[in-house]
Amino acid sequence: MNPLRMPFWGVDAAWLFYLLAALAMACLGLGLWEKISLWRQGRRAAPAPSSKQALGPALADVLLGRRIWRGGRIAGLMHLMLLWGFLGLFLGTCAVAVDHYLISFLHGRVYLWFSAGLEACGLLLVLGLMLALARRWLLPVARLERRPDDTLLPLWLLAVACGGFMVEAARLAATAPPWGAWSFVGYGLAGLFPGPEAARELFPWLWWSHALVSLGFIAWLPWSKLAHAIAAPASLYLQGQPLAVLAVAAEEGDLAALGLRHLLHLDACTRCGRCVEACPSARAGEPFSPRDVLHRARRQARLKYSPLYRLPWLRGRRQALLERDRAAGWEDAWYCTTCRACLEVCPVQAAPIEMVRKLRAGLVEQGSAVPPPLMDTLEKLHRYGNPWVAKKGAKAAWAAGRDIPDLSRSGQEADWLYFVGCTTSIDTRAQGIARALSDVFTHCGVSFGTLGKKEPCCGDIARRLGEQGLMEEQIEATRDLLNGRGLTRLVCTSPHCFDTIKKVHPLFLEEGLPLRVLHYSQMLHRLWRQGRLTFDHPMPLKVTFHDPCFLARHNRIVDEPRGLLGAIPGLELVEMAEHGLNALCCGGGGGRMWHEIPGQANLAVRRLEQAAATGAELVVTACPLCLIMLEDARKTGGFEDKFGIIDLSELVARALRLTAAMDEEAV
Amino acid sequence: MKILVLVKNVPEVAEAELEIEQGALDLEDLEMVVNEWDNYAVEEAVRLTEAAGGDVHLMTLGGEDDEDVLRRGLAMGAHSATHLCDEAFEGSDPTTLARVFAAAVKDGGYDLILTGVQSADLGQASTGVLLAQELGLPHATMAIALEPGAGEVTVTRELENNTSEKVALPLPAVVTVQSGINQPRYVSIMGIRKVRKMTIEMLEAGDLGLESQALGREASSVAGQSLALPPVGEGAQMLTGSLDSVCGQAAAILREKGGLA
Repeated sequence: MNPLRMPFWGVDAAWLFYLLAALAMACLGLGLWEKISLWRQGRRAAPAPSSKQALGPALADVLLGRRIWRGGRIAGLMHLMLLWGFLGLFLGTCAVAVDHYLISFLHGRVYLWFSAGLEACGLLLVLGLMLALARRWLLPVARLERRPDDTLLPLWLLAVACGGFMVEAARLAATAPPWGAWSFVGYGLAGLFPGPEAARELFPWLWWSHALVSLGFIAWLPWSKLAHAIAAPASLYLQGQPLAVLAVAAEEGDLAALGLRHLLHLDACTRCGRCVEACPSARAGEPFSPRDVLHRARRQARLKYSPLYRLPWLRGRRQALLERDRAAGWEDAWYCTTCRACLEVCPVQAAPIEMVRKLRAGLVEQGSAVPPPLMDTLEKLHRYGNPWVAKKGAKAAWAAGRDIPDLSRSGQEADWLYFVGCTTSIDTRAQGIARALSDVFTHCGVSFGTLGKKEPCCGDIARRLGEQGLMEEQIEATRDLLNGRGLTRLVCTSPHCFDTIKKVHPLFLEEGLPLRVLHYSQMLHRLWRQGRLTFDHPMPLKVTFHDPCFLARHNRIVDEPRGLLGAIPGLELVEMAEHGLNALCCGGGGGRMWHEIPGQANLAVRRLEQAAATGAELVVTACPLCLIMLEDARKTGGFEDKFGIIDLSELVARALRLTAAMDEEAV
Repeated sequence: MKILVLVKNVPEVAEAELEIEQGALDLEDLEMVVNEWDNYAVEEAVRLTEAAGGDVHLMTLGGEDDEDVLRRGLAMGAHSATHLCDEAFEGSDPTTLARVFAAAVKDGGYDLILTGVQSADLGQASTGVLLAQELGLPHATMAIALEPGAGEVTVTRELENNTSEKVALPLPAVVTVQSGINQPRYVSIMGIRKVRKMTIEMLEAGDLGLESQALGREASSVAGQSLALPPVGEGAQMLTGSLDSVCGQAAAILREKGGLA
């Protein structure tokens, strides 16, 4: 006897099944149509390139769940079981449809292996679901919520899977085909039935309940968080594409300016909570959560742009919900330090760092919800080209008594433009970096100059605070100055300037000269490798390195500063619990350096607690904002007799015995 | 409600290093900004019309560059603006200025005229009051709250030591607005770009039917004599030198005077 599938065995009224299936499919279709029509309203980075480079990593992320493993092995295992179990059953169902309606191929050995394969997938799914439920209820994982659908969804799927096995078991018990053992789970369960007759009698009941539960699940699928099965792969793929300039929203919290990518992010998120666990603000107990920002944005997007909310009987509800969100406001967007920790851990690359920027842009354009300290900062940036002092020409004071060519003037030439940056050139503590760095450059024989008093702000602060127009003005001013003087090789003090000039300026620079931008840690590392920077004097110190977010996470530069530290004889580097790409933010990014938010925590003190645990004598960093934040926290957090804070450039200058100024202050 | 707000561009001096050239402040390195009090007045007017409808019209008197102050106000939500621009106006004292404004305002049909309490640069705090006099309108000064009613406006005035007075004025009326009456909104670069194309009415002395000999320095009752920077105080000692040296000196002084135990 040739083994084969028996469609609709023992079931009457197949027409009723087809009718219900059509209804379920209509519901599925409606949900998908709603999502797709919403996504299509997002602006596409013109023209949307189909990047083959992004496809490989995206596929690996999806099919192997790489980014989920990174967050924990059990989560990774659970997701793989669910993904492959679900995917296997889905493909199996497609194969059955092909076999039933098009070409019959499920017979003989193929059918036996097919049956066994589906058994395995079903088993994987059941185990994965039990693991998922256990992670909420038996051994709860702190970051996971217990919203109704977090429990309902796995239970429902469990009912689908177990129901399927029971139907199969009843059929096997009733018919006892000789190949029954290939369906090993159902075969095992068949013993539960007292005899073939009972199984035959129960079979229609089991079959119909399985059918109803399954069809219900199909109808619910696009409305549940399982919609991430479509949005997440797209989100992962688009994340690998280059940055693009997007227009800014005209009104508060308006999402019209969101790109296709951002709208996909909204549906890709499954509320896993990794971002909340990683966010320095949320961790410190501030009223901010990347996940909540994302989901409020998602609700807004649906309310405003979903075709369903245009139906007359949903209009009242839409108005009420919009009103509620408007009353809540978006002010929590100001807590974000733009440190990128959320995106680093997000399995679907959806964390709302760009969204926060869009929200801020909306608040800035609307005007009345900009906190006064930030208004003051933006006014200074606009009028005086720096966020610190309301006077012109303050940027050259640090260099008094130093003979550094001013490359903004014609006739002055140098190989490298040292782009000092606002904070480094003006803040008294950070000026030490500029002085140390210029001494080190001179020591190594680097031909460099600065833009003196004329150095513009690179636009980073305006960008991070959502002042798009000001950012554009500053980028244009910088471009004009650089192009006018033919300057193309830049080295920056601040990872923030570095990031903006490297990644954002080129978007506006189509006409301009190609820029080559380095962070100074890269430059010094290169000089050391070339043998132009050598450390001859031992420095017996135990140090730890605080990675600036815009160096490590945003630009993946973690080895260069460590390479330099390792090159100094006698220096011992001890790492903090969180370092490199996982470093904890000092709290100075995203404009927070210039902001006092009600209820804000001292994020830098939390960082220094990690530093204190290493027993290091010096905390080294490579960013003027980190330096100021950590220095302040050292004084206010009671770390003064424990360790000093020093910038990498200052440490290098000290190792070279170029400067003594820092010695007493820092140690 | 039709509201007029008088605004003025003033140099920002708080953190700047000032220099005086030929009896006047050297404006070379100074930024011109909206007079702080006027900014509150514009915000208040915009809020009143946002809540109850109406129009906000802005007016300034100054040179060509002072158009910025009008563009900024338009970006905040004002609906139209007039720029009084004529060399003949230069050097006018507040009495003369009030006459010029009165000539420009008198047929405007405004329900409410707002000005800042004073200007940050000259601080005479009199243009608004003199304008009311010139127009024969009631006025109130130092407003920290405005509540428009039927045919009148109730003004809360800030007095010394946190006391305040409530007064009611029949409309039309002139009110000078104190800082802190509200939190003025941020004006973005994009916001200013959006109003770049709005037409601003330009008026010269002749358009207002004013003779130039009745204007300017000649017609003023007060003659300016000199402008001086603050003298270096006798009680103050300025330390100079590098950061380390300044800190060393300061520590030495504290030690010497017994400030350090």
